[in-house]
Amino acid sequence: MISHHLLTLLVFLPSLGALLILAVRKSDALARLVALGFAVAELVLSGYFFTLDTVHTLYPAPAGFFQYENVHWIDFFGIRYTLGMDGISLLMVALTAFITVIGVGVSWQGIKERVPLHFALLLLMESGILGVFLALDLFLFYLFWEVMLIPMFFLIGIWGHGRRIYSAVKFFLYTFLGSLLMLVAIITIFLMHGAQSGTYSFALVDLIGTKVPYDVGLWLFAAFLLAFAIKFPLFPLHTWLPDAHTDAPTAGSVILASLLLKTGAYGLVRFGYPLFPDAARAFTPLIYAAAVFGISYGAWIAFAQKDMKRLVAYSSVSHMGFVALGIAAWSPIALSGAILQMVNHGVTTGALFALVGMLDERTHSREIDTYGGVWGKVPALSFFFLLFCMASAGLPGLNNFVGEFLVLIGTFKVAPLPAGFAFLGMVLTLVYTVRLVQEILFGKERKPLVMHDLSLREGGILAVLAVGAVYLGVSPSPLLELVKGPVALLVGVK
Amino acid sequence: METIAIPAINLAPIMPEIILSCIAMLLLLVNVFVPSESKGYLGVLSLVGLVATAASVVSGWGQPVAAFGGAVQLDNFAVFFKLIFICSAALAILISDKYVVREEINHGELYPLILFATVGMMLMACGMDLMVIFLGLEVLSISLYVLAGFNRGSLKSNEAGLKYFLLGAFSTGFLLYGMALTYGATGSTKIGNIAGFVATNPQVATNSLFVVGMLLIAVGFSFKTAAAPFHMWTPDVYEGAPTPITAFMSAGPKAAAFAAFIRVMIVAFPTLKHDWTDLLWILAVLTMTVGNIIALSQDNIKRMLAYSSIAHAGYALVGFTACNPEGVAGILFYMLSYTFMNIGAFAVIVLIGKKGEANGNVQDFAGLGQKRPLLAAILCVFLFSLAGIPPTAGFVGKFYLFSAAIKSGYIWLAIIGVLNSAASVYYYLRVMVYMYFKPSEEDFDWVGMTPAIAVCLLLCVATTLVLGVVPGTVLELAQKAVQF
Amino acid sequence: MESIFFLIVAAVAVLSSILVVTCKNPINSALSLVMTFFCLATLYVTLDAPFMAVTQVMVYAGAIMVLIVFVIMLLNIRVEAVKRGSHAVFAGGAIGLFLLFQTVWFLGRGTLSGATGTMDRAQVVKVGHIELIGKALFTDFLLPFEITSILLLAAIVGAVILAKRKI
Repeated sequence: MISHHLLTLLVFLPSLGALLILAVRKSDALARLVALGFAVAELVLSGYFFTLDTVHTLYPAPAGFFQYENVHWIDFFGIRYTLGMDGISLLMVALTAFITVIGVGVSWQGIKERVPLHFALLLLMESGILGVFLALDLFLFYLFWEVMLIPMFFLIGIWGHGRRIYSAVKFFLYTFLGSLLMLVAIITIFLMHGAQSGTYSFALVDLIGTKVPYDVGLWLFAAFLLAFAIKFPLFPLHTWLPDAHTDAPTAGSVILASLLLKTGAYGLVRFGYPLFPDAARAFTPLIYAAAVFGISYGAWIAFAQKDMKRLVAYSSVSHMGFVALGIAAWSPIALSGAILQMVNHGVTTGALFALVGMLDERTHSREIDTYGGVWGKVPALSFFFLLFCMASAGLPGLNNFVGEFLVLIGTFKVAPLPAGFAFLGMVLTLVYTVRLVQEILFGKERKPLVMHDLSLREGGILAVLAVGAVYLGVSPSPLLELVKGPVALLVGVK
Repeated sequence: METIAIPAINLAPIMPEIILSCIAMLLLLVNVFVPSESKGYLGVLSLVGLVATAASVVSGWGQPVAAFGGAVQLDNFAVFFKLIFICSAALAILISDKYVVREEINHGELYPLILFATVGMMLMACGMDLMVIFLGLEVLSISLYVLAGFNRGSLKSNEAGLKYFLLGAFSTGFLLYGMALTYGATGSTKIGNIAGFVATNPQVATNSLFVVGMLLIAVGFSFKTAAAPFHMWTPDVYEGAPTPITAFMSAGPKAAAFAAFIRVMIVAFPTLKHDWTDLLWILAVLTMTVGNIIALSQDNIKRMLAYSSIAHAGYALVGFTACNPEGVAGILFYMLSYTFMNIGAFAVIVLIGKKGEANGNVQDFAGLGQKRPLLAAILCVFLFSLAGIPPTAGFVGKFYLFSAAIKSGYIWLAIIGVLNSAASVYYYLRVMVYMYFKPSEEDFDWVGMTPAIAVCLLLCVATTLVLGVVPGTVLELAQKAVQF
Repeated sequence: MESIFFLIVAAVAVLSSILVVTCKNPINSALSLVMTFFCLATLYVTLDAPFMAVTQVMVYAGAIMVLIVFVIMLLNIRVEAVKRGSHAVFAGGAIGLFLLFQTVWFLGRGTLSGATGTMDRAQVVKVGHIELIGKALFTDFLLPFEITSILLLAAIVGAVILAKRKI
């Protein structure tokens, strides 16, 4: 019985954990343990899915999906509760489960007020994100898409720093506005499909076959693109991101950068392109331009930042540009690269935010000016800092290199010009990363800093992330193998 | 001398009204003998009366019966709306017991007046005769004028009562004038006969009396639904009236106005459909936008909810503009959801408030999330629902309304609608910002839950979530209720 | 002949109702209102509705106005001290004129015809006005007639609540 509803279990297990935490909210220590327990259980569960490679489901699944659930929900609107997992979803799910464990880890001690609520929100967040990665019914997808905002709003607003309230509200409104227009587009295509086929359905597999007039399709795709581009974030819709990332608590920043941004990219891959292939083709030059400009612009602005967290935030804009580039190219190699890059960026940026959080906990400053000569004081921390900076800069042998390289190759075949510009952007990435490493780790000590090196907990978190980064860099082929099938199906659609 | 032959009388369709009126009169009598500290029992009695009325209403489902020569008709449409009114009255009574004691307005007449108002609303929903609708509206309005000014010691409440009375009388004038002109043009006040006359004499659509009559009726109902630009009375009245009454007014009477508005427009003026949907388009856009934009800058939470209720009337008007079965069913569903989510929010306001309507500003909610986590979480559910964020009833309602608009080809209206809901999120979030993100200055130790309010909150939260997650059954009922 | 009579009475009605709102002395306002009611009663007579005319005089001009005048005397309301002639009057007048223009323009656009019912002068003369009203009240408008009782009850309860010194 339960084996047919594994996906449901996967999505709602964290919510269950959140409820349990609220039940034991009198004890902070217990809340932490419950959170960690559920996060790890979720990670194990998501790992279990790697062992299921054949179709293993009660319900007839569309091609490529090896886990599928499809039950009645609101028949009145033709809404069904449809969850499905293919290779792409599986990667994203695994990333989500992994990063949530990291998120619980980094906020183990940093959060001192309202501890149970914090961990409950982290787990709720996980449920929402997993729902987004697994939903195959547009209504259900939209529901998770919105629900996921709520915990993040509270995470930023309650435990954030600086202008936390401004950032939280800005984050919420920005993303909410974009997704509402997507809702209109969803309803429109739902009605068009219903009028054409006579059956009203929100299922992705049904809606893909809808014949959309070209000009209408442009508008609908634009609405989807707006929602996804805000999450992505594509230049010039990124302005919420630096604020939200900077003011969020460490776990919030990690999840925001590693997971929330991916939902935008995932949505574009899963829904945007397949639903409106013609319109997507028409918009491709625009996405290229936004991607390439975002890569260079993000890197350029990152170079000028004084606040480390802001710097990493802008570097996300830059890195996500590569993902956009790979999606826009829509060739098997580029798309695989983009999906891989989503995972890579999740690991690297998550690690960088965690590191910045650790430095912040020690010195209560995120200003680059405060630091200098850190290498001599805390060698272990510095080692990881260097490692992840290098990974972020795309050093061969580490994870980002593979993703970005694949994206560039794939794009170069289809569109040499954007690929060329993106390559220039990569060079800029190197510039700001080297500056960061140079000033913080090796520069002259500007102020006397009293720091202790990594604790066992912090070391463990970073080591796990480092293993991930190295593994993804050295042998990405199993993952590429995993997404190969789904990517071929997707690209074949076009 | 000719004798008057009184036609056969079938009381079944107006049984709910009869039961409720009798209960109200009984309450008036009993009230004399009840000492002032136990007036709460009158509330219990009126709840019993409402339940009995609801049972009698439900029995009318599925078998439309007309009576009094077609002056009233108890059909699914009326049943659905009557249940909304009964819910709003019951919830308002549940939250008043604490409030009236605190504000020292513990007079037993509160309950009969609420019941009389409910009788008026029910007549509006089942009235098929312009006179019945008008008199129902008057019974409702007279009761509400008094209820708005019920707190005699408070200047604001007095102002609310007087303002509501003056503007209400003004709008009644419009409505009555419109009905008179329509009667002049068609020779009947029964909307069934009007529809028949229009069908056999299509040239009446060019008759100025008829057109102006329709316009004036629309204006009159727009006043009652608080649609912009006829919304001016709403904020002051909602702010000044006693909080449970505000909750009641924002839910039941608004729905009642929609019930009568929809029935009159769709049944009596089908030939002018293009004219009045154009009119409603403009009204809907204005109402949503004005309500939301002004709500953005409100500090007083009752006032904010007043403006937000204007905006919500605007969303309902979107469905009305669409003028297809989906749109009307959407309004039915939305009004039901709105009743629960809005009265739920008001219940929390009643709890937080202090004597003399103090503590009604959004700043006074600072720190509620820490000091009263459960209460804050409950308010969050209502606010998210009002903002239209899934998985709540408000989201499903808006989803239905906007789908109906898109289906009728009003895609721009739907876009303006969603942009408005995006704007509205800001002021709902603002309350949450204060509840969770600002440090508390108070202990909230005066916030004492009473059984009645607990029941009300429980009902409201449960309904808001259930209608958000598994709305199927109610949606089907709403769809079946679209018959005139 | 009849239309000239109508015009004269209508003009007086309009003028006196303007006086109701412009008079500074409340007693004068009240008396102007009585005048308006009388004009309306006259119009009812020309419409073959003698019962309406009598009721109008008895209820409005008689009972209600006496009450109003009584209250004015009792409260000793003085000549109104509010300053007039500000923009409010100007704006109100402008809006009123605009509405008047709009109404006239609208009414002029389409046809203007009422539906003719079964009640005509011959019928009124034959059966009698009071009888016709009575019959309508107890047949067609039986339910509205009954609802009125609820309405009045609610209004009385409301009046007691709002006005009684101690409840």
